[in-house]
Amino acid sequence: MILRRTTPPRRPEPQGTYPPTEAMLDEPVPEDLRKAQAGRLRAAWKAPEGWRYWSAVNNTEIGKWYSLTAFFFMLCAGVLALIIRLQLAVPESGLVSSDRFSQLFSMHGSAMMFLFAVPMFEAISILMLPGFLGSRDMPFPRLSAFGYWCFLIGGVFVLGSVLFDAAPRAGWFMYPPLATEDEGPGSDIWLLGLSFIEIASIAAAVELIVGVLKCRAPGMRVNLMPLYAWYVLVVGGMILFAFPPLIAGDFLFELERSFDWPFFDPERGGDPMLWQHLFWIFGHPEVYIIFLPSIAIAAMIVPTVAQRPIVGYSWIVLSAVGTGFLSFGLWVHHMYTTGLPGLSLGFFSAASEAVVIPTGVQLFAFLATLVAGRIRMILPMLWIAGALAIFTMGGLTGIMLALAPFDFQVHDTYFVVAHLHYTLFGGMVFPVIAGVYYFYPFIAKKMLSERLGRWAFWLIFTGFNVTFLPMHYTGLIGMPRRVFTYREGLGWEIPNLISSVGAFVIAAGFVVFVWDLIRPKGDQPRISRNPWKAGTLEWAHDVPEESWGIRSIPHVTTRYPLWDDPKLLDRVDAGRFYLPDAQEGHRETLVTSVIDAEPILIQRVNTPTWITHLAAIFTGGAFIFPTFHLYTPGIVSGLLAVASIIWWLWTSTARPPEADSKDAGLGLRLPTYVSGPDSTGWWAVWITMLGDATAFASIVFGYFFYWTAQPDFPPPGARHAGAGAVALACAGFVAGWVFTVAARRLNRAGRIGAARGALALAPLSTAGGIAALIVAVLPLEPATHVYPALIWALAVWIAVHAAVGIVMQLYCLAGSFLGKLTPRYDADIWNVSLFWHFFVLSALVACALVGPVARLL
Amino acid sequence: MTRTKPLGTIASDASGPALAGHLLAPAAGARRRGFTLVAVALFTAGCEGRQSALAPAGADAEALHLLFTSMLAGAAVLWLGMNGLFYWFSRRSPAAFPEHHARRLILFGGVFAPTLIVGGVLVWGLSLLPDQRAPGEGLRISVTGEQWWWRVEYLPEGDAGPVISANEIRLPAGERTEFLLTADRFIHSFWIPALGGKMDMFPGRETRMSLKPETPGTYRGQCAEFCGASHAWMAFEAVVMPPEDFAAWLEAEAQDARAPQSESARRGLEIFRREGCGACHSIRGTEAVGQVGPDLTHVGARHSIGAGRLGASLDDIALWVAHTGELKPEVQMPAFPHLEPAELQDLARYLKELE
Amino acid sequence: MTEQEYQPHAEEERREFAAESESLWRLTLAPVTWALHLVLCYATVSLACARQLFPVDTARIWLIGATVLALALIGWQGWRALQQWNVRNTGALSHPEGKAEDRHQFLGHATFLIALISAIGTVFTSLPLLLLEGCR
Repeated sequence: MILRRTTPPRRPEPQGTYPPTEAMLDEPVPEDLRKAQAGRLRAAWKAPEGWRYWSAVNNTEIGKWYSLTAFFFMLCAGVLALIIRLQLAVPESGLVSSDRFSQLFSMHGSAMMFLFAVPMFEAISILMLPGFLGSRDMPFPRLSAFGYWCFLIGGVFVLGSVLFDAAPRAGWFMYPPLATEDEGPGSDIWLLGLSFIEIASIAAAVELIVGVLKCRAPGMRVNLMPLYAWYVLVVGGMILFAFPPLIAGDFLFELERSFDWPFFDPERGGDPMLWQHLFWIFGHPEVYIIFLPSIAIAAMIVPTVAQRPIVGYSWIVLSAVGTGFLSFGLWVHHMYTTGLPGLSLGFFSAASEAVVIPTGVQLFAFLATLVAGRIRMILPMLWIAGALAIFTMGGLTGIMLALAPFDFQVHDTYFVVAHLHYTLFGGMVFPVIAGVYYFYPFIAKKMLSERLGRWAFWLIFTGFNVTFLPMHYTGLIGMPRRVFTYREGLGWEIPNLISSVGAFVIAAGFVVFVWDLIRPKGDQPRISRNPWKAGTLEWAHDVPEESWGIRSIPHVTTRYPLWDDPKLLDRVDAGRFYLPDAQEGHRETLVTSVIDAEPILIQRVNTPTWITHLAAIFTGGAFIFPTFHLYTPGIVSGLLAVASIIWWLWTSTARPPEADSKDAGLGLRLPTYVSGPDSTGWWAVWITMLGDATAFASIVFGYFFYWTAQPDFPPPGARHAGAGAVALACAGFVAGWVFTVAARRLNRAGRIGAARGALALAPLSTAGGIAALIVAVLPLEPATHVYPALIWALAVWIAVHAAVGIVMQLYCLAGSFLGKLTPRYDADIWNVSLFWHFFVLSALVACALVGPVARLL
Repeated sequence: MTRTKPLGTIASDASGPALAGHLLAPAAGARRRGFTLVAVALFTAGCEGRQSALAPAGADAEALHLLFTSMLAGAAVLWLGMNGLFYWFSRRSPAAFPEHHARRLILFGGVFAPTLIVGGVLVWGLSLLPDQRAPGEGLRISVTGEQWWWRVEYLPEGDAGPVISANEIRLPAGERTEFLLTADRFIHSFWIPALGGKMDMFPGRETRMSLKPETPGTYRGQCAEFCGASHAWMAFEAVVMPPEDFAAWLEAEAQDARAPQSESARRGLEIFRREGCGACHSIRGTEAVGQVGPDLTHVGARHSIGAGRLGASLDDIALWVAHTGELKPEVQMPAFPHLEPAELQDLARYLKELE
Repeated sequence: MTEQEYQPHAEEERREFAAESESLWRLTLAPVTWALHLVLCYATVSLACARQLFPVDTARIWLIGATVLALALIGWQGWRALQQWNVRNTGALSHPEGKAEDRHQFLGHATFLIALISAIGTVFTSLPLLLLEGCR
C-alpha cells in the first residue's frame, strides 16, 4: 500500500463556444469526413446479430420488446375478462367454479395494472423518450435491460400461475385477512411476483426521471421540453412516492404470511385497515400514473393534428404537476364505507372533486389547440376523439363517486366497474392505441392500415360502450362486484347478457388491431421520415435504418424545432451538431444541466451484455423461490443477484476514462467524467433513495397508525427493545456514516491512505450497529403481538439497508486499491455517501421509534 | 303489506326439483336459460326493485336517488356540451379560432366552470352526510358477517335482552334504526340498496350505520365486499313492517321455538337430532345450542334459506340440506346427501314449522 | 443568437445551479402546502376521533385557523410567481422561446397557475370543516 498525498484534482469544465453561432452551423461538413464519421458511429451503435440480438440494451430494442410484452400480457388479461363475461352472461352459470372465477378477476385486475398499464408507460417512454429529447439513448441502458428482463420473468411467473390453478384469488387489492389467511401459494405469488415487478418499475422511473432531467438536447430549457417529458417527470415522481408504500405493505404482508407476524390480525393487535391505507396510497396515484402518460401521448399528437403549437403549454404543465400532487390526496375515497369519521370522508371527498380541475384543464387545452388549428381527422386523432368521448363519461361518474354518500350506494358494485373501465379505456387504452398508430411509422417506416384501423376503432368503441354502459345500470339495481354468479329475478339478466356480447365485440376489434400490427408488411412501400409533418425532434430519428438514434445531437431553441428551423434536419444529418462521431468506437450521449440544458459532459453509455440477464434471473429467483417456501435457494439466488449486480457495476460504471475531456463538436470540449450532482449516477441514487425513504416512511406511518387506531399499542407492560443496545446501534450507524463522508472528503483532498482507513473502519462500525440492533430486539417475540412485530420489522429494514451500506463501503475500498476510485475519479464514493445520508436519517428515526418513543407512547 | 312478492319463494316452490336437476347438468341449464332469458326478464320485471338503488324505499336511499338523478342530468348536459363542442369544431366549423379565444376556453371550461359545478356538488354531497350517519331512534341491530351468512341480534331499548336471529333483517317503517356491524374472520359489507348505503364489517372492530325505511315490503340485501368463495351467495331478505307489526313480530321472535306440530315434523326433529345438527345450530327451547351456524329458532318464518341462496319452500330446504357445498362453494355446513328424499322432506317440514 | 464565450467559473456555476433548483422547487411549494394541510386535517381528526386526544370540535376550530394560514402561504407563493411571470409588463401568455428570460417567466406562470389550483383545493378541503361536525 502506497500512502501518498496528491494535489486536489482540478474540476473539469466545459470549454469552447456555447451556444453555437449561426456562422458555425452554416459551415458545411466535408463529404468524406461526414462518411467516415457516420461509419464509425454506425459501427459503435450496431445492434448485435443472431442469437446475440437478445443481449441488446439499446432503447429502441428494449422499448420494442417491453411494449410488445406488455401488450401480450394485456391480451392475456383480456382473455381472462372474456371468460369472466362468459360466466356472467347468464345467471347461475356453471362454466367456471367460484374458486376459478376469483382467480380470473384477481389476475385480470392485477395483470392489467401491473403487467400492462404501468409497464406500457415505461415501455413507450424507454422507446420514445430519447427521441423526444434528441438524445442517443437512455442514461442507463443496462438498467432498462435489467428492468425488462425482471418484468418478463415476473410477468410470466405471475400470469402463468393461472394455468396451474394456483393464481392469487383474493382480488387485485389483496385485502387481509382474506388474503393473509388464504391457503396455497396464490397470495405469495401476487406479493412476491409483483413486488419484483414493482422494483423493476421503480428502476425504470429512476432512469426516466434522470433521462428527462439530464439527457436533453442542448438548449432545450424546461419551457421548451416536449410535453411528454413533463409528464414523464411528473409520473416518474409519482411512481417514486406511490409504489414504495405498496412495497412496504408487501413487506409487512409477506412477514405475516411467512412468519405469522400479526400486522393485519385483529386478534393480536393488528389491523387490516393498515393494508387498505397502504394499498390505496399506492392504488389511487396508480390510476393517474396510468392516465397521465396516455394524456402525454395525446399531447404529442394533438399539435400535429392541428398543425400548430399547443395552446396553453403552461396550463398543461400546471395540470400535470397539479394532478400528480392531488392524486395523492384521494386514496380514502376507496375506503368511504370503512366507517371513518364523516369529517375525514369530507376531506377526501373534497380532494377527489378538486382533481377534476387539473384534469379538465388538460382536456380543454387539447380542445383549445384543436379549435385554434385545423383538425385533420387522421387515424390517431380518431382514437383520441374516442378517448375524449369515453374519458369524459368516466370523469363525470367520477365526480359522482367522489361524493361519499353516493359512493355508499354504489361502492363495490358494477357501477364502479363501469366507471373505472370508462376512465381506463378512455384515459389509457384509446390514447395508447392512438399512439401506436401515430408512432408506428417512427419505429418501422411503414404505415398501419387506415381501413383496418377504422374497423378496429369502431368495433372497440362500440363494443366498449355496449359492454360497460349497461354496467352503470347493473350496479345501480344492486349487483355487487366480484360475484361469480347471481340469481334470477333481480333484473340483472339482460344487462349482463348485453355486457357479455359487447365484450366479444371489443375482442373482435382487438383481433383486427393485432392483425394490423403483425401482418407482414414487406411489400408495403417505405415511407418518409416524418409522415404526419410533426414538429418535434423524434421525427429527426432514422429508425430502423440507423440505430444511433440521431445522427448528431442538435442545439434546440424552440418547442417545435422541425417546424421552426427548416435547416435543422439537414444539419442533423450532416453531423453538423454535437457528437457526430465515435472516434474511440464507444457509444456516447450528451449530459446537460437540469433547467437550461447546457452541455456538461459526454457520457459513455453501455453496450450489449448478458450480465443484466444473469442479474434478472437471480433476482427473480430471490423472489420466486420464497413463494414456495424454498428459503435457502431463495437466499442463494439473492446473493448471486447481488454478486452479479456488483460485477456489472464494477466492470461498466464510473470507470476512469482514457482522456479527461474530449471534443463534442461545434467547438465545444466537454469532460468525460464527473462526479457528484453533475453526474447522472448521483441523480439516480438520489431519486432511488427518495423512493426508499418513502417506503420507510410508510412503515413509520404504520407505527403511528397502530398507535392511533389500536388501544393497546404498545400493549400495557410490553417488553421494549433494550435501551442501551439501541443507543449502541445508533452510535454504530452514525459512525459508519461519519467514516463514509470523511472518506469521500479525504479522498478528494488526495489523502488516499486516510480515506482507505476511514473506508475500512466504516463497515466495522456499521456491522457493530447491526449486531447491537439485533441484540436490542432479540428478546421481543414478534409473533405474539403487532407491537414487537413492528419493532422487528423496523429492525429488519434497517439491518438490511445497513448490510447494503457495508457492501457499498467495501466496494469503494476495493475501488481505491484497484484504481477505480481515485481523488479525481470519485463518482462511486459520492454516490455511496448519498446513500449513507439517507440511511443514517432513517436509522436515527428507527432507533428513536424502537427505543425512546415506544416507551413514551 | 308487502310491496313486492319475494320472487325466490314463488319461483323455487315450483322449481325445486328442477333446480336439483340443474345442479347435475349446469351447463345445459345455463344454455336453456340463455334462450329463455328475454321472456323470463319480461315476466319478472315487476320484481326488479327488490335490490335496487333506483327503487328507493327509505329516506336515505330516497335522498341518494335524488342526488343521483340530478347529477345524471347534469352529467348528460356536460357530456353533450363537451363532445358536441368537439364535434362542431372537428366537423363543421370552417375557420380556425383565434388563439386568445382558445385560451379563454381553457380558463372557462377548465377552471371556472368545473370549480363552480364541482364545488356545488360537493356542498350538496357533504350536507347529506350527517343524515346518513345519524344515530338510531331506539332499536339497534347488531349484525355480524360470518362465512357466508349473517348473525343478527336485535337490541331493543330498555332492559330486554338481545333477540337472536340470523340471515334476515326486519325493520320498523318510519323509524331510524342503527346497525352495529362487525365480522367474524373476514371483511364483509352490509348493504340493502333499496333502503340506503352500505357499510363494511371488520373482524375486531365495530362500525355503525343507520337506515330509515319508509315503505313496508320485502327487499334484498347482499354482501358487497369480496369475502371468498361464496361471496356471491351471501345475501339476506330485509322486511320492512309497519311499527306495530314489527313490535308484535319482535315479541314472537324473542320466544322459544315452537314444538313440531305434524307427524312429519316430529320425524324431522328426530333426524335433526340424529344427524347432530344441534352441534352447530341453536334452536332455543331445545337441546340444540350450537353457535357455529345460524340460529334456527324461527327459521320457518324466514323468506330464504342458506343466507339468501334459495327460497324458503320445503323443497328449497331439502335441496339445501342435501347439496350445501354445490349450492354454496366452500360453505362450512356439510351436505347430507345420504338422507332419503322422504327424510329430507321431514327435516324440511320440521324446520318450516319453526315459525 | 449572440456569440458568447462559455467558460463559467465554478463559483458562478454553483450559484446558477442554486437559482435553477430553487425555481423548480418553488413550482411544488403551493401543492405541498395543500398536501400538508390535507394531511394535517386528516391526522388531527383521526387523533381526535380514534385516539380521543382532544375534542373534535376544538380541532375543527384549529383546522379552520390552519386553513387560513395555508391559504395565506399559497397566496404569497402565487403573488411571488405573478411577479416572476411578469405578464403585466410583457403581455406574454406563452413562453416558447429559448431564452433564459422566457424560461424564468414560464416557471413563474406555471407556479402561479399551480398556486391557483392549490388554493381551490385547499378551499375545497376546508368545506367539511364548515359543514360537518362531530366524529360520526
